[in-house]
Amino acid sequence: MNTASGFIKALESGTKHLFIKRFTLRYPEQKLKFDGDGYQFDPKRGVGIAGLRGRHILFHDKCTGCQLCAIACEGIAEAIGMVKIDEHWKQNKKSIMPQIDYGKCVFCGLCVDACPFYALYMTNDYELSSFTKSSLIYTPSQLAVKPRYDGDVEIKIDSKGANHG
Amino acid sequence: MGSITPDFRFGNLVGSIIQLVLVILAIVTVLILPMIFFALFFVPLPVVNGQVLTPYLFFSMVVDPSRTLPIVKFLMHTALFKAAIFPGFLFASLIAAATIFIERKLLAKMQLRVGPLYAGKVEGIFQLLADGLKLISKEIIVPSGADKPIFWLAPVMFVSTSAAVVSLIPVAYGWVVADLDVGLIAAFALLGFFPLIALLYSWASNSKYPFLGGLRALHQMIAFEIPFFLSALPVVILSGSLNLTEIARSQNIFWNIFVMPINAFVFYISSLAELERIPFDLPEAESEIVAGWLTETSGMIFGLIQLGSYLKLYALSALFVILFLGGWYGPQIFPHELIPGASSSNISLLKIIALDGLYNAVTVNSIFWFTIKTFGIILLMLITRGVNPRIRIDILLHTGWYKLIVLTFINLFVVLTLIYGGILGPGGIILPK
Amino acid sequence: MSNLEEKIDEAKKLSMQIVKDTEDDRLMTLSVGPQHPGSGHFRFVIKLDGDYIVNVDPDPGYVHRGHEKMCEYRNYFQNLPQLERPALHDSSNILYSYCLAVEDLVGIHVPRRGQFIRAIASELDRLVYTQYWLAIYGIFLGHSTMFMWPAGDRELIIDLFERFSGHRVTHCFSIPGGVRNDFPYNFKEKCLTQVNYFEKRLKEYEHIFYNNPLFRQRTEGVGILPKEDAIKLGVTGSVLRASGVPYDIRKVEPYDIYDEIDFKVQHMKTCDSFARSYIPYLDMVESCHIIRQLLDKMPESGDVRVKLQGNMKGPPGESFKRVESGRGALGYHIVSDGASRPYRVKISTPSFRNLIALSYLLVGSKLGDMPSIYWSLNYWPIEADR
Repeated sequence: MNTASGFIKALESGTKHLFIKRFTLRYPEQKLKFDGDGYQFDPKRGVGIAGLRGRHILFHDKCTGCQLCAIACEGIAEAIGMVKIDEHWKQNKKSIMPQIDYGKCVFCGLCVDACPFYALYMTNDYELSSFTKSSLIYTPSQLAVKPRYDGDVEIKIDSKGANHG
Repeated sequence: MGSITPDFRFGNLVGSIIQLVLVILAIVTVLILPMIFFALFFVPLPVVNGQVLTPYLFFSMVVDPSRTLPIVKFLMHTALFKAAIFPGFLFASLIAAATIFIERKLLAKMQLRVGPLYAGKVEGIFQLLADGLKLISKEIIVPSGADKPIFWLAPVMFVSTSAAVVSLIPVAYGWVVADLDVGLIAAFALLGFFPLIALLYSWASNSKYPFLGGLRALHQMIAFEIPFFLSALPVVILSGSLNLTEIARSQNIFWNIFVMPINAFVFYISSLAELERIPFDLPEAESEIVAGWLTETSGMIFGLIQLGSYLKLYALSALFVILFLGGWYGPQIFPHELIPGASSSNISLLKIIALDGLYNAVTVNSIFWFTIKTFGIILLMLITRGVNPRIRIDILLHTGWYKLIVLTFINLFVVLTLIYGGILGPGGIILPK
Repeated sequence: MSNLEEKIDEAKKLSMQIVKDTEDDRLMTLSVGPQHPGSGHFRFVIKLDGDYIVNVDPDPGYVHRGHEKMCEYRNYFQNLPQLERPALHDSSNILYSYCLAVEDLVGIHVPRRGQFIRAIASELDRLVYTQYWLAIYGIFLGHSTMFMWPAGDRELIIDLFERFSGHRVTHCFSIPGGVRNDFPYNFKEKCLTQVNYFEKRLKEYEHIFYNNPLFRQRTEGVGILPKEDAIKLGVTGSVLRASGVPYDIRKVEPYDIYDEIDFKVQHMKTCDSFARSYIPYLDMVESCHIIRQLLDKMPESGDVRVKLQGNMKGPPGESFKRVESGRGALGYHIVSDGASRPYRVKISTPSFRNLIALSYLLVGSKLGDMPSIYWSLNYWPIEADR
């Protein structure tokens, strides 16, 4: 009675799952928690620091306008362009800083790897949608804003199965 | 380019609702009231308690508490109420809607996900309503070269045949829309229409994938009709009649499933095949023939076919309950009177609240147990959907034509032995009351 | 004349017959096209005689994006995001092969901890891809539960990827020289917890899917690819191992640290569709063992990357490296002429090589066997078209 036992085992397995907690993450009421502050790169040691690759953050007091991030992105997505800004910084003689078009960016992070001055990092912020294409182009001053992200749900594995929060 | 949605203003909402109400009142006054008067001029009014039921009498009876309940009772036993509301179309549609909701949530829970969640405050109760509104508002695309009369008529025929099968099912003693003496054979005869409708519709769609699906539907449904009524044959022999009410009433001592479990199993498998449910949903096999004979349905045609399909699900589960699970019998858990001592008191309001002439404890009990058992069988069909893949057509036909017929004959011989041994059936030791 | 050549002759005779038959309107031409729930980004035209498939004409090319040509316009690091796109879910493996080829060309040696991390990412990606493949296999056969369970359990592994690489899919994590960043500080415990739970969930699949009599009836004895024909046609990956050839590149030409890891090469002798669908599942269980061994043997600290210049010039020469990806043997052949951009990059994907078995297996089978044969060949259209 191999066939019958196969069916009965399948039924039993299916009904067993009726008593396990559901696994779905109820976004947007629940949001995931991330460890760390986002992907960063240490040019001295040559390795990155693990983190989520979300929106970039640009530190105006470190950027020198060397264009290495734009050159790195040229072969990938051409999402970084250098623009002239109104601020005057001692280290930024030409007063240019990158502006990033999130309609084109693939979030690979190779621009962060290219920056030698600790000026460009990536943050935990991934909710970047908008109603118009032009508002996806983030100017250097928009990129300098620190993100506010407060997700707090993680995958928990307990005796009744895995679930989100 | 996305547009910015305008802000919501409550005054605008109230204004538009008032405007809608005024428009409806205007249409009713100008068009509908004259039509009602015109119709009343020609329609003969029914006679209640020796008086013709004019609208004035109707309203006065409704207001007078002591005469409301007989009116309601009279209305509940008219043929229109039985056909349209209970146990007919509305009752079956409500059960079908509940089935769809339970199916989605049950399958979701088995698959460790949530299912519909946002339509309606509690776990997506109004999802079916949202889906229905969406389907009504969609454009119905008729393929070029399609056979237009059949294309438009076949879904309607599908729903009406399903509703016809539903009308044969007795829910309690005396509560059936069509009380035929050959009710069981009428059910099987109606079920024989479905392969024809599927084939007609798939041919009228003028496309290759529906054609393949229609042929598969034809083969599948015809192959499983024979085990279907062969498995019901011992039931007829035991109870001695083809009337569904009599079959149910003959099971008040023991349920038929204890004598013929194999036949119940065969009936269950055959009804899964008739309903085109997984594991037998070849005619709609999504990965091989897009959507089978339903490929060209869109909009409300799809909605009608889903409605018909779930009505058929209710009808076949109810048929299983009547044939094998003892119909509506169960321990009496409803009290004899809603408020004890109400029928002999003089306070008419108390009589109305206690539903004096209307509430029949046995009937309510029957309806309750019938619904519970039907939902139990529907639940079994839904769980089977969750754990099995689809079967292939040659294995299906092999099962239908060889294995199931052999199984029904085994149980038939067992039942015949019991009858000739004098244990069951008319003239046996165990007699139904 | 061997069996295969006889079959080819017979197919030629049959195709002449088919041309005559379709002129007589006896056969039905069905286009299982890209807009079909059962085909992916791929089209094949089948000719049906009743329920039997008489002729199959695969028509790939819907997703050809010119990845090999695009590689000639970008330097070695800028190639990474676009090269991982053909195999979205399996991106660590498709980049692993590229990194090995570039490192062989330039002549550098990756530090030990970097090698371990790369291998862990590759094995985790194998789990992710096979779960996705199982999910689609379930839905092709009409089993909606088998679609949702692997898709849900895949989230456990993708959560791990998010922790250490920053992305859920298309990680861009293995680069020439090592990996981009080290693991976060509490990664090892999390990884072990989730991989152990994942392995427990894998046992449920046996009850509901692999031992389900309906599934077995549909796939046992269907689409038999004998051992000699499998070798002659040049198929690779789980298709080859299901025909009885225990060939796994991690054992045959071990790369990085796979010669220190102890695992079995799963193969079955029945050569049918059931074997082809069961082998990836067994491979997943093996991958869980491999991940635990790798996490144990990994050195506690160390470099993970050799720093290479962003626009480095590749020395003239060529290199060829193969890796066992989720589907089979994935190889890169890189030719360089001294510039900072490669002269020619040729990607040899397992899906394109397994495609030839499709026309071989489908002829003579029933229409109902089409999903189980087609998807058991592990064909990923995007990777085949590049």
